Amino acid sequence: MTLLSAPPRVVTVGAGLLDDALRAQAVPTVPVAWRPPLPGTAEALARVLADPRRHAANELAVSRLTSARPHLVGVRRASEVLAEGTFLHAGPPITWERASGPMRGALIGAMLLEGLAGDEHEAGRALAAGGVTLRPCHEHATVGPMAGVVSPSMWLFEVRDEEHGGTAYCSLNEGLGKVLRYGAYGPEVLERLRWMDEVLGPALAAALERTGPLDLRSLIAQALQMGDELHNRNRAATSLLLRELAPAVVEAAPGAAAQVLRFINGNDHFFLNAGMAAAKVSTDAARDVPGSSLVVAMARNGTDFGVQVSGLGGRWFTGPAGVPDGLYLGAYGPGDANPDIGDSTITETSGLGGFAMAASPAIVRFVGGEVSDAVRATRSMYEITLAEHPAYQIPGLGFRGTPAGIDVALVARTGLLPVVNTGIAGRVAGTGQVGAGLVKPPAEAFTSALLALAGSVSDPFE
Amino acid sequence: MNDAAAREVVLVRRGTYHDSVTLMRVSRALSDMPGVTAAMVAMATDLNVSILRELGFTIPETDPGDLLIAVRASDTEAAVEEADRQLTTFQRADPAPEHQPPLTTRSAARTPADLVLVSTPGEHAFAEALDAVEAGLPVMIFSDGMPVWQERLLKERALLQRAGDVLVMGPDCGTAVIGGVGLGFANVLRPGPVGVVAASGTGAQQVTSLLDWAGTGVSHVLGVGGRDLSAEVGGLSAMRALRMLDDDPATELIVLISKPPSPEVARAVEEAVGRLRTPVVRAMLQEGAPDLTEATERVLRALGRPVPEWPSWPSWPGGRPAAKAIKGFYAGGTLGAEAAMIAGSRDIVDYGDDAYTRGRAHPMIDPALRVEALAHTQDTDVVLMDVVLGHGADPDPAASLAHAVARAPATVVVALIGTEGDPQDLHRQAAAFREAGAAVFTSNAQAARHARSLL
Amino acid sequence: MTVSTHARRTRVHVTGAASTAVRPVLESSRRPARVLAAFPGGIYLEVRTDLEPSVIAVITGEAIRLPNSVLLSGPLPRVTVGDDASVGDRSIELGPLNLTVRRWWDPSPPLGTVDRASLARAAARLTDPPEPGLAGNAAVDMLAGGCAKGWLLGAVTAAEQLVGLGPGLTPSGDDVLAGLLVTLRHVGAAAGVERAVWLAGWLGATVTFDARTRTTPISATLLHCAARGAASPEVIGVLRGIAGTQPLEPALRRLHRLGHTSGADLAQGIAIGVNAVLSLGDQEPGR
Repeated sequence: MTLLSAPPRVVTVGAGLLDDALRAQAVPTVPVAWRPPLPGTAEALARVLADPRRHAANELAVSRLTSARPHLVGVRRASEVLAEGTFLHAGPPITWERASGPMRGALIGAMLLEGLAGDEHEAGRALAAGGVTLRPCHEHATVGPMAGVVSPSMWLFEVRDEEHGGTAYCSLNEGLGKVLRYGAYGPEVLERLRWMDEVLGPALAAALERTGPLDLRSLIAQALQMGDELHNRNRAATSLLLRELAPAVVEAAPGAAAQVLRFINGNDHFFLNAGMAAAKVSTDAARDVPGSSLVVAMARNGTDFGVQVSGLGGRWFTGPAGVPDGLYLGAYGPGDANPDIGDSTITETSGLGGFAMAASPAIVRFVGGEVSDAVRATRSMYEITLAEHPAYQIPGLGFRGTPAGIDVALVARTGLLPVVNTGIAGRVAGTGQVGAGLVKPPAEAFTSALLALAGSVSDPFE
Repeated sequence: MNDAAAREVVLVRRGTYHDSVTLMRVSRALSDMPGVTAAMVAMATDLNVSILRELGFTIPETDPGDLLIAVRASDTEAAVEEADRQLTTFQRADPAPEHQPPLTTRSAARTPADLVLVSTPGEHAFAEALDAVEAGLPVMIFSDGMPVWQERLLKERALLQRAGDVLVMGPDCGTAVIGGVGLGFANVLRPGPVGVVAASGTGAQQVTSLLDWAGTGVSHVLGVGGRDLSAEVGGLSAMRALRMLDDDPATELIVLISKPPSPEVARAVEEAVGRLRTPVVRAMLQEGAPDLTEATERVLRALGRPVPEWPSWPSWPGGRPAAKAIKGFYAGGTLGAEAAMIAGSRDIVDYGDDAYTRGRAHPMIDPALRVEALAHTQDTDVVLMDVVLGHGADPDPAASLAHAVARAPATVVVALIGTEGDPQDLHRQAAAFREAGAAVFTSNAQAARHARSLL
Repeated sequence: MTVSTHARRTRVHVTGAASTAVRPVLESSRRPARVLAAFPGGIYLEVRTDLEPSVIAVITGEAIRLPNSVLLSGPLPRVTVGDDASVGDRSIELGPLNLTVRRWWDPSPPLGTVDRASLARAAARLTDPPEPGLAGNAAVDMLAGGCAKGWLLGAVTAAEQLVGLGPGLTPSGDDVLAGLLVTLRHVGAAAGVERAVWLAGWLGATVTFDARTRTTPISATLLHCAARGAASPEVIGVLRGIAGTQPLEPALRRLHRLGHTSGADLAQGIAIGVNAVLSLGDQEPGR
């Protein structure tokens, strides 16, 4: 059909009066609920949108993101991949001076674990003196939940993208309660980490050698259909992973098998870290496409919320990390909460987590809300994403693909910020988790990325 | 004794957006309330903030995305309550989650659609229009004030689309009719054999309204925007529109309406016209060329149809002093230019120009500026003005303007542009202006000649 | 939608779009009408007038846009068969509604031109519509043969037998004739076969002469429309497919979905018409 062959169905954007005039003619219209872009972005938007590379660049970048085929290929000790004297941490770069309570706590814990300090005070002094190099996980093909601290004697999931060939790592999940990633570093925390180093890591490594690579893309797709959103709910995915691993664990480590399997079974979030590595390897596949406005990382260090964009290489664009809005454990309240922390927003970056909330009705109670809120959250994310994931589907939305691939230009145009599900860490080092909920990323992280992108575009007048 | 009259209030609603037409209507409703001396409900753009400051309001720090409600009244609470009531009336009902409205054209284009109509503020129209082009959809950009490089870029990108009908109409495209559907300011026209390509919205409205009166309908009116035939844009949309109409079986004859194009564009357009199978009648608005009414008559003759008398309603005989000067208060730029040419007057103001519409509604919707201008005329003036009917225009222009005409010291001549099918009722509007003392013509050219004859 | 107080009761002003076929009736002075039938998607009004169409369909967006219809921008009012209404002076009064028209569409848009080869290709794809209501009927065969030969007497005789033949609101015989009439007129004009257009004129005059007494009022009105070349977008779509301005197969599928057998009957009429245009074109001098 061509434009002139029949009365048109019209998308209207702007003055309601003109939409009314069409409806009065019995013309079907789709009105856009338009609003002005985020303040200060109008000119940058025009430049970025006009960039002749953008459309193709975004299609390429997002197709790399959604076509990635992450496979769990192994478990390795961090010392194998980490430079000596370096600890990794979540989020954009941070110094000890600016680090928040849970970040400091986790770094202290790592010092104690590695035997680099005798007690917390000594650890703090060493860290303040720069005794250890602190680098963001993201810059080392790694992600870490909450504080995301990785030190040499921790073990990492190794995930390979069979489509594009990338590799990404994520630490092993310690469980809930008092754990290092929430900034706790008491004796029971260190004891558990030592057990993970001596028993869990080697057992999993040996088991994965037997199973061979596990297809995480299909596992995640299944878990979505079983009610996980893969950030705050990983119960189905953990069960699926456990089912894959159990026989091999028994064969590979008969002596420790019961302990290992009981540990995994006791932690609904065990899969989160494998899922994060899968998300990381997928978003990394979309990096460095010149002219692309696709977000390839969102990460928080407990102080700053940082964003990286495909067309802008490794540059971070940051804003202050917000305090999550959610439900608190026991007697904790908002006053006990640390600002947002962790690399787990890589799930949202890849189209899972908050973006897939509609797949996970069970989660809405946990983050406070109704099922309709979850559906609304996911639907709204289609407004700021470039694609619908071909494999990750939401049964409740008619098996529509999850919204995948955030576009900073669409964020600026709609004023809609990514929906992020998250755990809430206590602000005092050593407290651990105090709750879970939703957090609003700072708009300036996205707008400053857009402005930088505009600056990188050649002048449309030339 | 009247201390309450001094009360004023300024409220900031963060991140609340309404379009300027809606806000203008709310402002007008508030101003009409008893006891209200000043009221403005507007987005906190730099322009609006400066207007409010000129009105003596103290405006706090705001973003352009915030809504300002500023009222000076004896009962500010009642006024603010009324503002909220009006704003909620205009706001569409909160949708169920499964009916969340799309926030961008890109998102809306996921549902089946054939055309996008953009009427956001001009500085934001590019993003929506580009979404349309990238989705392979034709787009009408009603907004004005879009930088010319963006217009050029949109039209070039449209040519790269695989589909041959991704037409960019506008920016500043006031009117279009596609398959009978009136978009923007369009008249209710009967279907028929005449296709129109127009770089002038009101020019197209004049020609098609006269054709409709003559019983001849139009197939489509494709607006291309006032700048399309400039050297910078190169007539890209006009040439595509001509080809589309040439391929349209319903179109037997094409009328091309524009200001004189730049010489090299004129050459390109003439070449394009030469390749068409469909005959083309040109209505170029310049000295020596036929005016819009004459062009319409040529169209009728080319189709072998009779040319009727164009309806007019002479004013009641009255005893006015001899006229000395012709002034024009126009809503349509092209109609104003035509009037200036015929009446030989340089005192013709185009109230539809960017300079008058920035931050306020178009004079086809908002009569305020012209009502004021009429009040400031002399009894030796002849005022020529257009009243444009149709979709989107003031639902009853006579309601506010006829009163102003009746009170104006000047002799008034009205060019009433519209059809018998228009929602405003052409005959009722004509009667109201005539009753107010004006002479009324459906041909702007005849109105201008009449005005000149009064000198 | 605005509400104003009428002398006797509250009237709701609504607007919509209409086929230009109903324009003469709407623009003449007001006449009484009554509700002939009421369906979820449309209300048929019979207007006391000599003008055609004398039956007007007031419909919603879901209904078929018959060439005699007025499309409402809002929901239909609740009315029952036999209710009074009125049509004229540019509006329709129906139940509480006062309906005016804001847009007109042409139910008889020209097709452009079509060459013989494409017409022959299209004819081959029209051969077997799914189960028309009068499959194997002798009068249909006679109609097809008469038209193909340009044998006016045979065509007219067959047409007279077919008017009102079959059950339902629009009997199959009428649908076949309607499909044939619009095809002869439009495809005949597009192919430059004047004899086909001439035949459409004669057949049209025949079937409309006493249609009001021979078939249902709605079907009689649709025959009047078809005699002038007016049809629903589903029929026009197939004609455009035949003329090559849009894909034929999807248009045919849309047509076939209409009614119980209406779509198939219309398609049968169209097929007869296309064959007649081809065969009459062969017989014209200079070919």
